Amino acid sequence: MRRFFAWVDDRTGIAKLTREALFESVPGGARWRYVWGSTLSFAIMVQFITGIFLWMAYSPSATTAWESVYFIQNEMTLGWLLRGIHHWTAQIMVILLVLHLVQVVIDSAYRAPREFNFWFGVILLFITLAISLTGYLLPWDQKGFWATKVATNLAGIIPFIGDDLQKIIVGGSDYGHHTLTRFFALHAGVLPGALVALVVVHIYLFRRHGITEAKPATRASALYYWSLLGFVFGTLTILAFVFEDATKQWVPRSICGVFLAIAARIFFLVFRGKDDDSAARPKRDGMFWPDQILKDAIACVAVMAAVLFFVFRQGTGLTPPADPSQPYNAARPDWYFMSLFQMLKFSAFEGAVGLVIGAIVVPSTLVTALFLMPLIGKSKTGHWINVTMLYGLIGGFLILTAMGFNHDANDAEYKQGVANAHTEADRLKELISIKGGIPPEGALTLVYEDPKIRGARLYAAHCSSCHPHGGKDGMGGEVKEPSAPDLKGVGSKEWIAGLLDHEGYVGPKYFGNTKFRKGKMADHLLDLDMLPEEIEAVSAALAYEAKVYGYSTPEGGQELIDSGFDLMFEDLECSDCHGIDGEDEGSGPSLTGYMSRDWMVRFIGDPTHDDFYGKKNDRMPSFLVAMQEDGNMSDGELSREEVELIVGWLREEWPRADGKVR
Amino acid sequence: MNEEETENFVPDKKPDPQPKETERREFIAKAVSIVAGGAIVSIPIGTGLATLVAPLFKEGQGGVKIRLASVEDLPLGGPPKLYQVVAERTDAWTKYPEKPLGSVFLRRKQGGEIEAFNSSCPHAGCSVGYRSKEDEYYCPCHESIFNLDGSRGDPCVSPRGLDSLEVDEERLGEGDVWVTFRNFAAGIEEKKAI
Repeated sequence: MRRFFAWVDDRTGIAKLTREALFESVPGGARWRYVWGSTLSFAIMVQFITGIFLWMAYSPSATTAWESVYFIQNEMTLGWLLRGIHHWTAQIMVILLVLHLVQVVIDSAYRAPREFNFWFGVILLFITLAISLTGYLLPWDQKGFWATKVATNLAGIIPFIGDDLQKIIVGGSDYGHHTLTRFFALHAGVLPGALVALVVVHIYLFRRHGITEAKPATRASALYYWSLLGFVFGTLTILAFVFEDATKQWVPRSICGVFLAIAARIFFLVFRGKDDDSAARPKRDGMFWPDQILKDAIACVAVMAAVLFFVFRQGTGLTPPADPSQPYNAARPDWYFMSLFQMLKFSAFEGAVGLVIGAIVVPSTLVTALFLMPLIGKSKTGHWINVTMLYGLIGGFLILTAMGFNHDANDAEYKQGVANAHTEADRLKELISIKGGIPPEGALTLVYEDPKIRGARLYAAHCSSCHPHGGKDGMGGEVKEPSAPDLKGVGSKEWIAGLLDHEGYVGPKYFGNTKFRKGKMADHLLDLDMLPEEIEAVSAALAYEAKVYGYSTPEGGQELIDSGFDLMFEDLECSDCHGIDGEDEGSGPSLTGYMSRDWMVRFIGDPTHDDFYGKKNDRMPSFLVAMQEDGNMSDGELSREEVELIVGWLREEWPRADGKVR
Repeated sequence: MNEEETENFVPDKKPDPQPKETERREFIAKAVSIVAGGAIVSIPIGTGLATLVAPLFKEGQGGVKIRLASVEDLPLGGPPKLYQVVAERTDAWTKYPEKPLGSVFLRRKQGGEIEAFNSSCPHAGCSVGYRSKEDEYYCPCHESIFNLDGSRGDPCVSPRGLDSLEVDEERLGEGDVWVTFRNFAAGIEEKKAI
């Protein structure tokens, strides 16, 4: 065995390489502050491992990307964990990058001879952000799609080359298959390749120059550390007061986090007996292996623990499949781009020129400033300027991010958008399980065929401007003053009973805001002043005609229903105006099959038909046939299929897990 | 960064720990590093491997019973005819209402009995054809010949003859040819359904 290793070593020189890698001297001894680079390397490794396994299950095309991610998340063994680790490590990596940068700047590790290494590091920072940005689109869900659309449109405004650049990135003028194949190649091939190459150079240069010995700078940099901690703490505290709503959750948590960090630090100092850098005592030089590696390993365990915490606690979301025709009110970039996103709302960046300044000039200036840090920081004052600049960047980032989240926390449309995305995603999951899979055309067809999702959308778009649904627009949105009956529960016994009461009929929930408020029916109901038993019987009879989802024979049974019909024909004189049970003679809407599926489709299709309101129709449009000015008939606002979906939604007839539709 | 500060350092008064203790501490440091490092790296690798080998623990979708022809379509004692098998199938996330699964040779023997063979070669899975001139089955990949009854011909490198498929006798009486289509492991003597 020994001879075998000797032979391998002789041919490869691996022993020397390993020795060099492990037995690097760490001047001044191992320190916790040196762990950030290692945690980053660890995070990159985790992303490569999980990324390659995800690659084996992901399919980049407009009809399979969402579907394959859905499969990974919900069907594949441990797929949710694999995707969760990949997703959350990406988030934590951004934080580690910032910590690494902060440590390098504070310890002035960018100074000669390490300028190049700093520059490579900054480039690596932007490659990582580019990998995050391209990865955000890959699930091809509403969230990723709309956020990426914003990002690529911003790329399009870059002077001179923007237009062409955008077309190249997107793979044409429209977002589709080639947007995904290109983003995927960038995310999993080009950018990680560049990352590896640069990391190799970065680590080579790091080894060439060695660790920046913190010894002479210890007291000063410890001061910086504490002041930075205090700065972040202070900023967060102020933000907590300024943006009360947004910060309800994350500011107290962050403050807790900072407190914990300070507590841990103090505990550590007391426990270790001033044996650390704040005591400004020179330590013996340590070795990379095992002194520093132990600290690195423990830091990496903490990183992994944080990742797993978020995977289990928060989960990894997947909003409904990308749909360019379905606006998404909650389109936001990932949190680390939130500050840039927020900045574009300022009036200073209004208009085309403003957009170029806000989206391109300002970020580029900041990037340039970062690049110039090693040159600025040559002197003591320069270093001080750099640290101040870094504080400014972090502070600005925190403030803008807080403003962004604060806006969203107070934005009803945003919150409704998020809530609807969740509801629709859950519904889609249910649909896929009912159907036993996704059709070859993609999951979007399931959305389009489903009365529960699409019916609600169509109702909100075409009906809710007059008819509220439980006081909302059908998708939880607010409606202006309603001008027609509220259709929640339409066709149910309770809904019909409410209509038969005169107070109810002329009230805002029914016809109070229509011209029927002063119509024949209103007068008739006032004259009749129906007894509760009569309302009970008639509503039972009409609910029997409607038979919406959840209909069951009333307590009084068939007898009650029959007595209801008898009343309508005789005592109540309903049949004088309304056609009932196939006897069609009146001028009021037919009650034959009242609120049944067919009745509703025909009614919505053309309420001016003699079976319904005829010429007495108030303002209800004919959705399937519309009279044009020249008297010709044309297609209405909706297609038959769409009307069926709205009716299906109102009657709550949609596929359910128990196999029941109605 | 500030050279003056170095002067303020308090020199280390504690004597170096005993060599034995250093050794022990170093051993613990190494052990913890290796165990902790191994544990956290094994999480992503383990999770990934679990997704990778998951198909090993999933049952195949099994055979599918399908109507391929009516008895009259097959002339008595005539040559075999190739029929496409298209059926509902789930492929990962996609549920195809009609997915091509393979093809089947059907032949009505002189006695009226119906014979069905999966057209996939039991040697390595190429598709076997029928050569009317020689009245035999022929696999173009490794030049194997199978006799009309499916048995191995000469030459034939396949370890077994063509895989016969089950024909529903009851439905045959009604005039329809229903076959249970399934695939079998290639390259072995045993006819093993997959």
